[in-house]
Amino acid sequence: MAYSEKVIDHYNNPRNVGQMDKASSEVGTGLVGAPECGDVMRLQIRVNPETNVIEDAKFKTFGCGSAIASSSLATEWVKGKTIDEALAISNTDIVKELALPPVKIHCSVLAEDAIRAAIGDWKKKNSVAETAAVAVAQ
Amino acid sequence: MDYFSFFDLPRKLTLDIVALEKQFYALSRRLHPDRFASRPVAEQEAALAQSSLLNDAYRTLKDPIARTQYLLTLEGVELEEQSKAATDAARASGEQKKQIVPPELLEEVFELNMQLQEMRAANKMGEDEPELRRDLMTAKDAFDAKMVETQAELEGLWAVWDSGVDAGDETAKGRAKDAMVVLLNKRSYLRNLVRDVNEALGI
Repeated sequence: MAYSEKVIDHYNNPRNVGQMDKASSEVGTGLVGAPECGDVMRLQIRVNPETNVIEDAKFKTFGCGSAIASSSLATEWVKGKTIDEALAISNTDIVKELALPPVKIHCSVLAEDAIRAAIGDWKKKNSVAETAAVAVAQ
Repeated sequence: MDYFSFFDLPRKLTLDIVALEKQFYALSRRLHPDRFASRPVAEQEAALAQSSLLNDAYRTLKDPIARTQYLLTLEGVELEEQSKAATDAARASGEQKKQIVPPELLEEVFELNMQLQEMRAANKMGEDEPELRRDLMTAKDAFDAKMVETQAELEGLWAVWDSGVDAGDETAKGRAKDAMVVLLNKRSYLRNLVRDVNEALGI
């Protein structure tokens, strides 16, 4: 199976690799894993408390090329989005953008899970009710 | 025909391996190509197909993990599909998806991967990092021990499943099934980690 050019590009030049201060109230951290392949993915966001806009995002992924590309793309996409906009990103969008083959769909699922987990962590820290945010998103 | 019915076994997980082996050898002899040498081609081919099914069935059933995975597949468990479905449901409801891997294990896996990356980098430079090596050895021992624990836990769940089968108790079966999925997921993480650590340490 050949990787698409976009996957290779993200794999060779991953965007936003790194970490942020987990303890900061502005930072949300999502740590997720896919046991089928042993991948682990950590995605972090820094949210502006005034505007709810994600101003920065970092990731670190141990896994295959598709998992790295999916999380790299996810950090690019969430940057500049509000929390609610970021929640609307779905794994299908990632699959399309990276032209992932069926066997690698779980990598995109993992990336979506990571975004949602990071946002969930941020909401918990800032006591934002889950349901209220959903109402806005719909 | 599924592998359990091939050996005329109920779909239970605690298995008499010695009896299975005996049955395997008896059937192997009965299906041996030499016995069909003078038979019509159609019969030869049928025996060959049966013999290959026999081998697959035996290989799968004698291995505790393969047997459990096989049973779960027969019972309609599709790990990847379930994960995707759970993500879709989380997106639709706005609730957090429940991760199938316990968060503490993920933390450990992540940390260990960081150390492994360091160790590999050091290996590449031809340097030794005695402290890192020691840390990794400790982690490896801990994960090895966890693998052993998982095995014992799995056998406990087999018992729950088997008595559920005997009693026709669907609730107990469902409970055992879910718990086995979680356990096997945990196990595949541990197995990969132990493999990666061994590789980085060159053992």
